[in-house]
Amino acid sequence: MMQVQITGTMVLQIVVSGLLAGGLYALVALGLSLIFGVMRVINLAHGALLMLGAYTTYWLFALFGLNPFLSLLVSVPMLFVVGAVLQKLFVHRVVEAPELSSLLLTFGISIFIANVAMLAWSSDYRSVEFLTGSFILGQIAVSKPRLISFVAALGLTGLAFLLLHRTKIGKAIRATSQHRDVAQICGINVRRIDVITFGLGAGLAGAGGSLVSTMFAVYPEMGLIYVFKSFLVIALGGAGNYPGAFFGGLLLGLVEGLASLFLTAQLSEVIAYIFLVIVLLVRPAGLLGGRT
Amino acid sequence: MMAGILWLLLAVMGGLAVLPLFASGYIISFTIQIFMWIALAGSWNLISGFTGYVSFGHVAFFGVGAYTGALLVTQAGWHWLPASLAGCVPAAALALLIGYPCLRLKGPYFAIAMLGLNEVVRALVSYFESFTGGGSGISLPPILSIAPVYYAMGGAAVAVTLLTYRIITSRFGLRLLSIREDEIAAETMGINTSLMKLYAFLLSALFPGIVGGLYAWYSSYIEPLGVFPLLTTITMIIMCLFGGKGTVLGPVLGAVLLSVFQELVWARFLFVHQAIFGALIVAVVLLMPRGIMGVLQERYRLPRTV
Amino acid sequence: MPEGHILEVREVTKRFGGVTAVNHCSLAVQPGKIYGLIGPNGSGKTTLFNCITGLDRRDEGEIRFKDERIDGLKPHQVACRGIGRTFQIIRVFPELTALENLLVVSRKGGLAGNCQRAMELLEFVKLDRLQNEYAGNLSYGQQKLLEFIRVLMTDPELILLDEPAAGVNPTLLNDLLGAIRKLRVQGKTVLIVEHDMKVVMGLCEMVFVLDYGEKIAEGPPEVIQANERVMEAYFGR
Repeated sequence: MMQVQITGTMVLQIVVSGLLAGGLYALVALGLSLIFGVMRVINLAHGALLMLGAYTTYWLFALFGLNPFLSLLVSVPMLFVVGAVLQKLFVHRVVEAPELSSLLLTFGISIFIANVAMLAWSSDYRSVEFLTGSFILGQIAVSKPRLISFVAALGLTGLAFLLLHRTKIGKAIRATSQHRDVAQICGINVRRIDVITFGLGAGLAGAGGSLVSTMFAVYPEMGLIYVFKSFLVIALGGAGNYPGAFFGGLLLGLVEGLASLFLTAQLSEVIAYIFLVIVLLVRPAGLLGGRT
Repeated sequence: MMAGILWLLLAVMGGLAVLPLFASGYIISFTIQIFMWIALAGSWNLISGFTGYVSFGHVAFFGVGAYTGALLVTQAGWHWLPASLAGCVPAAALALLIGYPCLRLKGPYFAIAMLGLNEVVRALVSYFESFTGGGSGISLPPILSIAPVYYAMGGAAVAVTLLTYRIITSRFGLRLLSIREDEIAAETMGINTSLMKLYAFLLSALFPGIVGGLYAWYSSYIEPLGVFPLLTTITMIIMCLFGGKGTVLGPVLGAVLLSVFQELVWARFLFVHQAIFGALIVAVVLLMPRGIMGVLQERYRLPRTV
Repeated sequence: MPEGHILEVREVTKRFGGVTAVNHCSLAVQPGKIYGLIGPNGSGKTTLFNCITGLDRRDEGEIRFKDERIDGLKPHQVACRGIGRTFQIIRVFPELTALENLLVVSRKGGLAGNCQRAMELLEFVKLDRLQNEYAGNLSYGQQKLLEFIRVLMTDPELILLDEPAAGVNPTLLNDLLGAIRKLRVQGKTVLIVEHDMKVVMGLCEMVFVLDYGEKIAEGPPEVIQANERVMEAYFGR
């Protein structure tokens, strides 16, 4: 199996691509983590929302030739609205309910969205061929869409942090996620925060989808794996630990990259999975610590 | 009331026992499917309906059982019945492997781990091509008579239902329910919740393994996409929820009703069908979280054993 | 330490992030008495309960029950050694019936064998007619009583009660206090977290006072009432 000589350059190449993928994982996971932090709801429809973001970019590109990175300006607000509506119509009714309800509810929503997408757009793989080729930096090649997506993901993650830490609404969101009851007593409209948070989370998923579409195929069932990976990122970083989620994303990208180099790309999801189970076994609070 | 239900059940069982003597092949295979769904939905009920730990990857046990059965028949020359029964061994082993780390934790870790499990097992089955035939699957000898499979699948459905009855009338069953209701309180009252959950999970993996083996034999051909579809898990979940989670007859009722609807109304449009299931899950969770049996139990004050 | 203590908490510290909820706290509890644990909101009473019962893991110090270390044990192991507790916020199993709420915590013998004892307990708090009602459908006070007898069902030697009187009407409160006194007669040890000073003074033989996670006083109720530091902790500074 190991006929190919593994050189230092190859490892470096993999590390770089892994980190680039990780930036994107972190962005998507941040959305999931926000929602979980505020409502204690694991949004299993997160992947379906990501898929909607990817299709938004695809159609804007295919129909109007819009630059996929500019289409973020459409996909993020659109998914914000979708998320806010989902929260207002359905999710708010299970926020206080046992976990079983919210898991099943968001699972149902996810299946519904994915299959309606299948009916509307068929299960064909589509791609946004906007940027191709690579930048060559010394001995390593960095694919253009990956690099730009990484930068965009980093920028969006940074914006989200600014929003959370500098604005009034962001502070209210963080307060609610730390102590729901206390926030309520302090005059924060927790219901409204829930709606905004779900919208934000969905917006981040949509942004992730838009960026993913520049690199990988777009199809209705593309989202499921991202729910899993986002969750893994959160598990690595520790639940409710937002900076942790960022480093968790980078770590996951790295591990996947190295696994595909030393083992096989076919099993990279298997590796990620085993990684999750081991993390849960050894450090249930997340490798990077954080409050639970 | 109880006696009436009992007589009704006996009559239905009697009818089903003699069904293969006169019914058409179509009716028999349809009934086999219902039996399969009863066994699968009933198994999902044991972990998720009782303890509230949602298993989104239960089809993995079914798929592993199907491959075990198929390989034992084709490679080791086993008779189909013991080969199918043997399917419960790797299913239980897999449940132990995943359940031990993931069930000790509270929260959604288990649900997500199960969501990934199915994809992972399918990827592994496809990867070890020389052993499993990879994407091209495994062909089994054609079956000559359908009746033995009918009785075996029926046996599995009855066994799962009896097991559920046995559990619900035991302290073990009450303990599982208490985990669903309030795990921290249960733990503080001296209930070893991790161990109870692990037992429930092992029990819930056994029959999908067996039923998977029977399915492989019955359909004469299996391949990774066919025995690990997410749809199978979705169907188990919605049948159990619709009929009533944590009840004995809920999964039976859910399996029968939804199988019939599915057959009559929407089986021909796969994506419509899946979308409807998705919507149905949302509807049941929001509007009827206890399912049909749960509502009946509360309204007519029926004992838990129904 | 002197012999004859059923529970000893030695120098226990528990932190949450930067907040020290319990700070080098030590208590010694003798068997067969009723103890009170009081202190202002957020003084660490419930956290201390959680450390004793294994729900929170203490960061420092040790906890002994009948001369054996119990810190580090899982909650169910602590419970099986003979410590039972109730919660500040009611935690009955809402979709189990009142009777099932009791049967589920029994440890030995068949369900049928435990039925009799469960029914006796239900009668003890006058809930026997509601045995087949879902616990979630009971009134607040009834749930409180149910949670109380659920602890008794496991026959613990040491019972920790977290604010048993909160939200209970006066009649029910009298029943509850009577029941707690009966426990003492049966030789049980009781440790009560309570806000209502009247309840504490009327019931407890010894009182511990916590403030900011530290034990600031201990003694018989009348002594505590006169303690300046305690008054200060309660009524402000």
